[in-house]
Amino acid sequence: MGFLAPWFLAGLAAVGLPVWLHLLKQHKTTPLPFSSLMFFERRTQSSVKHRRLRYLLLFTLRAALIALLAFAFARPFINSTIVASARGGKLRVLAVDNSFSMRQGNRLVQAKSDAQAALSTLRPEDRGLVLTFASQAHLLSEPSTDIAGMRAAIRSIQPSDDHSSYAELAHALRSLALSSKMPVEGHLFSDMQQTSMPLSFADAALGDNVTLVLHPAAQASLRNFAVESVTAPRRIYDVKKVHIQATILATGDAGGTRRVALVLNGHEVGSKPVDVPVNGRATAEFNGLDAPYGMNRGEVRIDSGDGFPADDHYYFSIERSDPLPVLFVRARESRDLLYYRTAIESSRDAAFKLESASPAQAAEMPLSRYAFVVLSDVGDIPATLDQALRSYVRAGGSLFVAIGPAAAARRKVPVSDAAIRDASRDIDQFQTAATLDSAHPATHQAGNWSDVKFFRYFSVEPGTLRVLARLSDRTPVLLEQQTGEGRVLVFASTLDSISNDFPLHSGFVPFVDETAHYLARLDDRPANLTVGAFLDLRSGREPSGAAIEVFDPTGARALTLSEATQARSMQLTEQGFYEIRRPNRHNELLAVNPDRRESDFTVIPQETLALWQNTGQGSRAQQAGAAETEQKPLDFWWYVMILVLILAVAESLVGNWHLAVDKEAA
Amino acid sequence: MLQRFLDPATLAGLSGLDLVAKTVVDGFVSGLHRSPDFGFSQEFAEYRAYTPGDDLRHVDWNVYARTERCYLKRYRGETNTQLLILLDTSASMSYGSSTVNKLDYARYVAASLCYLSHEQRDAAGLIIFDADVVNYVAPSTRQGQLFRLLHAIEKAEPGTRTDFTKPFAHFQNFLKRRGLVVVLSDFYEQPETIVKTIEPLRFRGNDVVLFHVLDPQEIAPRLRGPALFVDVETRDSIEVSPEYVKEEYPRKIEAHIEALGTRARAAGMDYFLMNTGRPLDEGLREYLAVRQGRM
Repeated sequence: MGFLAPWFLAGLAAVGLPVWLHLLKQHKTTPLPFSSLMFFERRTQSSVKHRRLRYLLLFTLRAALIALLAFAFARPFINSTIVASARGGKLRVLAVDNSFSMRQGNRLVQAKSDAQAALSTLRPEDRGLVLTFASQAHLLSEPSTDIAGMRAAIRSIQPSDDHSSYAELAHALRSLALSSKMPVEGHLFSDMQQTSMPLSFADAALGDNVTLVLHPAAQASLRNFAVESVTAPRRIYDVKKVHIQATILATGDAGGTRRVALVLNGHEVGSKPVDVPVNGRATAEFNGLDAPYGMNRGEVRIDSGDGFPADDHYYFSIERSDPLPVLFVRARESRDLLYYRTAIESSRDAAFKLESASPAQAAEMPLSRYAFVVLSDVGDIPATLDQALRSYVRAGGSLFVAIGPAAAARRKVPVSDAAIRDASRDIDQFQTAATLDSAHPATHQAGNWSDVKFFRYFSVEPGTLRVLARLSDRTPVLLEQQTGEGRVLVFASTLDSISNDFPLHSGFVPFVDETAHYLARLDDRPANLTVGAFLDLRSGREPSGAAIEVFDPTGARALTLSEATQARSMQLTEQGFYEIRRPNRHNELLAVNPDRRESDFTVIPQETLALWQNTGQGSRAQQAGAAETEQKPLDFWWYVMILVLILAVAESLVGNWHLAVDKEAA
Repeated sequence: MLQRFLDPATLAGLSGLDLVAKTVVDGFVSGLHRSPDFGFSQEFAEYRAYTPGDDLRHVDWNVYARTERCYLKRYRGETNTQLLILLDTSASMSYGSSTVNKLDYARYVAASLCYLSHEQRDAAGLIIFDADVVNYVAPSTRQGQLFRLLHAIEKAEPGTRTDFTKPFAHFQNFLKRRGLVVVLSDFYEQPETIVKTIEPLRFRGNDVVLFHVLDPQEIAPRLRGPALFVDVETRDSIEVSPEYVKEEYPRKIEAHIEALGTRARAAGMDYFLMNTGRPLDEGLREYLAVRQGRM
């Protein structure tokens, strides 16, 4: 026996109160006058003894009352050995796999039927629980003996598009064993896909007190073709430059020539045969896509002729728009515009269209229509342009600043206001780029800068700026600053070939391409997602309280009103196209496809399954003795409180009786 | 109907002893008290044959004229007897389990008897005693005697302990002529001692009546728990158990009452137990009925 709050036992000291009242403070009998003691005899022994006996009863009641009160507040508990194992009861968990692969044939129907059959053998002392699992486990009922409720739960199971994970199932079984304090007998109703096993076998270990009974819904592997993936640009600007590549997967000893079709907005726009090797992959490429402007729903289909047509298509979304305008501001004629224009027009998707202007002209232009602005060694910036640039950046615009001699004369970086000094004035030799922040989106594909020679460069005080590249003398050459909602990239040299030879190197084009996409915020999100992935709804820049509407593939609202205004992310649970409507009218169309591991119907070998089952049985055998003696703390303070109540009533009755006797005697 | 007003507790609410006595006596007692002697009154009793020496004034000449025989005509005598009340005011008489203690009850009885005596033109006197004679009002029929008696009774306060020997020795000096002696006491003394002490009064030709005044709690005490009893006279204390009070004490007090009554009657004295829990008139009615029966 123990106590959950043992410090309340200090209240036992209050027992001293009745001790003081009854023993230390001697009760004095009130003398009663009587006319004559002529007929009385002295028998003090018996009468005093009688009195003490009665008062001791009251004392005992009072002391017990206080002691039990302190006892109850200390929350006593006993280690009950009445655990389920001792009673012979088990928690029978019926785990039904409803992953994407269970859509094949009548696998899910078979699994549900098997689960119903397993439920009929539930013993009276057992409790049952129904759960479904794919990438996550969902409890459909509480541990109970309600057979009808569990049957209804099994009937309600629907297939999903998610990927099954036996690691998640094992985790759920382990958790149930811990929480229920009962031996768990898991019954798995699944197609036993090899791909459902985690990479680390230890993640699927069943743990203590868990046994697993397997009910395979499929006995053999299945020949299957599937569109494994589609690589397509998220946005297209030039229909001739569109390149779409589809990967066709063959599993289960499947192989052969299959027809692959490209479908756009429900209309087939191209097809070609693909020879898929046995248990191998083949690719089909489609060049050029005459997609209409706006959001387009793309799909790659194959005529598989296999037993699982659900994975014979793959969704992708594609958005067509005009190239984004970029404003190139320069103060004097040089080759920087030539180099920059050539580089940006050579980029992968021709997403940008360059416009040049002088500072004076730029001051008259509306900057908000440009994806970003480039300031190429601009020294004298009109006040109106400076103010417009600051407002533009704070509102979310982006600025690329190349520092040359003219710009360095201002001693401050435009908008950023970081200090500048000419660091290469007194040196005679060039510097090379020594370190490059490859984790930054603007530089992670920039290639090798080591051959680039920087003859003249300027030192910008980093301050709060993030340094993305440094020269060999540790001078920062590429820096970034977040200003308001916007971004400012500072290149501490010029874009012509005078201060450095960077434009002449192969790394210049990727550098311009990456920085342009970064500054224009074009590649923030992936083109396609898999079922079960989470979609980030808010980046923190959206106005508070603004609703983000999400429509699922069936066209229904996927979020409640509250979630639409507050949720920061949501899980994608169905395959198809999700339409996301943001408050700034930047609508998106997101294609979601099932995890293609579900298309591999290779069954787990029996040896592996036996080994998996043993991860529970072996440990259970070791724990068998301990399970019998496992003790569960049983808090029984309320019983003590009932006893306290009874004692209080008894104390009142006895006390009143004594009081009545004394009053009558008086 | 009157009975209701003769409850001791009700009488205690009355303002003065005279009113108490008048309430008790006027209700039913008046006229019941008669002299046992023949005397001069208007009420015929019997004829008796003349014997030499009889007073010729009592010869009924009308009968002699008709029968030529001399008969004496005898009338029921309403003699003026002398009543002397001995009121015990020892401390034990102050005990009472209700609003009326024994001394109050005894005072009501004494006052009633005084009033009754006054109504019959009898001389009444009073001796208040505890361990000694505390107050003495000589028997008299003078005007204002009743109020002197009532005043003395009202002034009687509980005194010390009871000692029959000493005051009764003094009583002998006060009794000049024979009469009726009424003793009101709780008689906490051995019956032999009591009778032996009072007996001389009887020898001198007095009718002696003992009114044994006891509280109901003294006759049949009730006690639910042990208690410490303190003697109001001696201040001695004793722890008493309920069992004793329930079983042994009643036997002892009964034996005491029985012994006192038996010995008193054996000595020619009347004995009446006056339970203060009973209505006042009940005790007096019983007493007067007995007295009448003896006439």
